[in-house]
Parts: sequence; structure tokens; C-alpha cells
Amino acid sequence: MIEDTAAPKTSGLRSSKARMFIKYIAPLAALAILACHYLIFVYAPMEPEMRAVQRIYYFHVPSAMMTYLGFILCSVGSLAYLLTRRSKYDVFAYACAEVGLVFGLVVMTTGPLWARGAWERWWTWEPRLISMSLLMLIFAGYWVLRTYGGRSEETKKFAAVLAVFGTPNIYFVNRAAARFGGHHPIKVETTDAMKMVFKTCMFTFLVVFFLLLVCRYRSHMNRAIVSVLRRRLSRIS
Amino acid sequence: MRLGFLQTFLVVLRNDVRAEARSRQTVVTMILFGIVLATVFAFGFTSEPKINRNTFPGILWGCLFFTSVLGVGRTFFRESEDGAFHALVLSPADRGGILMAKIVMNTLLASLVMAVILPLLVVLLSVELVDLNGKSIVGLVCLQLVSGIFSFTLVATPLAVMAVTARFAEVLLPMLIFPMVTPVLVAGVASTGIALGTSLGDSHWTWLKVIWGIGAVFGALGMVLFERMVTE
Repeated sequence: MIEDTAAPKTSGLRSSKARMFIKYIAPLAALAILACHYLIFVYAPMEPEMRAVQRIYYFHVPSAMMTYLGFILCSVGSLAYLLTRRSKYDVFAYACAEVGLVFGLVVMTTGPLWARGAWERWWTWEPRLISMSLLMLIFAGYWVLRTYGGRSEETKKFAAVLAVFGTPNIYFVNRAAARFGGHHPIKVETTDAMKMVFKTCMFTFLVVFFLLLVCRYRSHMNRAIVSVLRRRLSRIS
Repeated sequence: MRLGFLQTFLVVLRNDVRAEARSRQTVVTMILFGIVLATVFAFGFTSEPKINRNTFPGILWGCLFFTSVLGVGRTFFRESEDGAFHALVLSPADRGGILMAKIVMNTLLASLVMAVILPLLVVLLSVELVDLNGKSIVGLVCLQLVSGIFSFTLVATPLAVMAVTARFAEVLLPMLIFPMVTPVLVAGVASTGIALGTSLGDSHWTWLKVIWGIGAVFGALGMVLFERMVTE
């Protein structure tokens, strides 16, 4: 039976490790985010050139990193699913794409806000901006497919292929977008205090990323388990 | 007996060409849609010939993309209609051969369509296909278009398998394909623009090479992944 090899173990519902992780890490992450706000808006020194607008950077860059991390992990999980057909990899990839998209939305919101202050326009055709927006579109497509395209085995396989296809595209988009020329800043922080704030934000975002990932993974896994149980129940009765 | 790559390729391609030659369903739809698109774009963008020359590459490649996606969406249309898709997948035929035949078929269809649209756009927008020195670039533009079409179908055709199974694939498929093939669009518009002398840039060959590179990478990836995608 396809169902028995593909179905997750029903004991997964009781996974207490993940529950403990969420229980203790979630409040800590909330506190860390508050601390980040203090560091960004009070502690971090004013950047002489861009003034206050530069503070967006502490949100923008870590979010961008988490978006890339989410999409890359999604591709890795998808590849693992295509090779092994274990449904846990498929669920992992789905959760990664979702969390990546959430951080991507943060990037796409904070980016134009910063650009308005620094470049005096909301959007410009620049390699980094184009590659990010296309990546968002690809994974938005992946998300729509996973969410509304039905839950058949074929859709899962197809979505996995899509995620694997999406990764080399990062390179080509960058290559193609080079024609527009780049003026996206690479490194902004100059003083030690700025570096410290940036590193703290980075670490906090990483923790939030994995927290969200575990939550989504568990929720999708439970959904899959419930549907398996329901099918078994209907077969008995 | 397991059919080899070349044999499968030839059998599937011959079958598709023959079926299409008899019904002409897909190609006629694509050409008509292309003509409508070209007219819509022409209405939207036409102004004096000098400005038309600037918008021409974008309109040309836009038409290519929208018409090609129609053909790609119908790649497995005949097979899925009478359940032959599963028979095809279950048969011992080489999967790579099936995919390659479909890719070539889609390339042929889209090339036929562009053979109609290119002259139509040239007439509608009154653009002369010559470079800055007055030398004809018709051959070069055709090469760019065929390369672009081939790369497009190499990226998009493996994705068309989805149309067989997923729900509301007609809407989903273009949405998934377009972000994937945007690099081809950018490179294509750049190469045609540089050839026409309207875009700045070093050489149109660089962009042609980008198109080929995209085709090569996604072609190889598609060949490897298609096997996994259709295995039951």
C-alpha cells in the first residue's frame, strides 16, 4: 500500500520534545525580540550618512538571511523527499517554504521603506531586488500549489520538483539582472556597537525562524496523521 | 523490451506531430491567440517608429512567452484525456525520451507561432530589422527567438506534468512557469535590444549564451527529476 509507506508514524502526535522546545523557547524568543527593539532604537549609534533610516537594516538583513535559509532548506527537504519518498521530508519542505515566505514579506516591506529614505524611490531595478522578488514569486507559487492544489502524491512530487528548480534560478536571476547594474549596499555596520546589535538581531531571528519552523512542522505533521487515522477509522466502520 | 532513449523520442514525437497535423487544434489556437496578443500590444504601445523600436523587443518576447505557455499547458492534454498518460508512464519506454519528445514538440509549435507573429509585429509597429549599420538582422533575431523558445520549453515542459493531476492547473501553471523563465525573458529582451541598437550593452552574444546556459542547466535538471516525478 502506498499509504502505509508514505504515512507518518502516528506516535508523532505525542512528541513531547517539540512541545518542551516551544514551551521554553517561545517566551525567551519574545523577550529577545523586545531586547532587539531596545538595542535597535535606543542603543545603536546613529549612522552619519543615512540617519535613522539605517536602523531598518537590523530587521531587513536578518530577515533576508532567514528567507534564503528557508528556501534553501525547502529545496534540500524537497530533494530528500524526491529521493526517499518519506513524507516527513515533504512536510519539512512545506514548513520551510512557509516560514521563508513570512520572513520574505518582512524583507519586501522593510526594503522599500529603506529605499525611499536612501535612494528616494520605493523600488528600482537592481539585481538583489529582482532576484528576491522572483524568488518570492516562485515560492509563493509553491505555497499556492501546496495549499490549494490538492493533497495527492503527484502534487507533492510536483511541488518538490518546483522547489528544486527554484534554487539554480537564484544564480540565473542574478546573472540576468546584472544588466541593470547594482547599487545595493553590501556592508553597512561600521562601529563595534553596530556589529553587536546586528549579531544579536541575527541570532534572535534565527531562534524565531526555528521556533516557527517547529510549530509549522508539527501542525502539518499532526494534520497528516489525523487524516491517516480518519482513513483507517472509515475502513474499520 | 525496454525502448531506448532515441527510439522512444522518435515514436512519441512522430505520434504528436501526426496527431497535431491532423487536428491542428493547438497550433491554430496558439497562432490566433498570438495574433490577438500582438494586436493588443500594438494598440497599447504604438507611437512613432523610433519609440516603437525601443518597445519592440519587449513586445516580441512577451508574445513569445504568453503563446508558448498555452502550448506547454497542453503538453499532456491528449494523454490525460483518455488516461493514456498512466499507460505511457507505466510502459517500459525511456522517460527521458518521452520528455525530450514533448520538449521538441513544444519548441516546434512555438516556433511556428513566432514565424507568424514576428512579421506581424514588424508590420504593425513598422520596425525595420536592421542594426545600427543598416545590416539585416532577421537571421540573428530568428536564432535568438528559437534559442529562447527552446530554453523556455526546457524549463517549462517538465512542469507541465502537473497539469495532468493537480486541481485548477490552468491558472496555476502559468503562475509557476513565468517566474521560473524570467531570466530567459530578460536575456532575450537584452539580446534583441542590443542587436537592434536600442539597448546598451556589450554584446548580444553574451545574452544568447546566457539563454543557452539556462537551457542546458534546466534541461539536465529536468531529465534527472522527470523520472522521479512520474514514477508511481
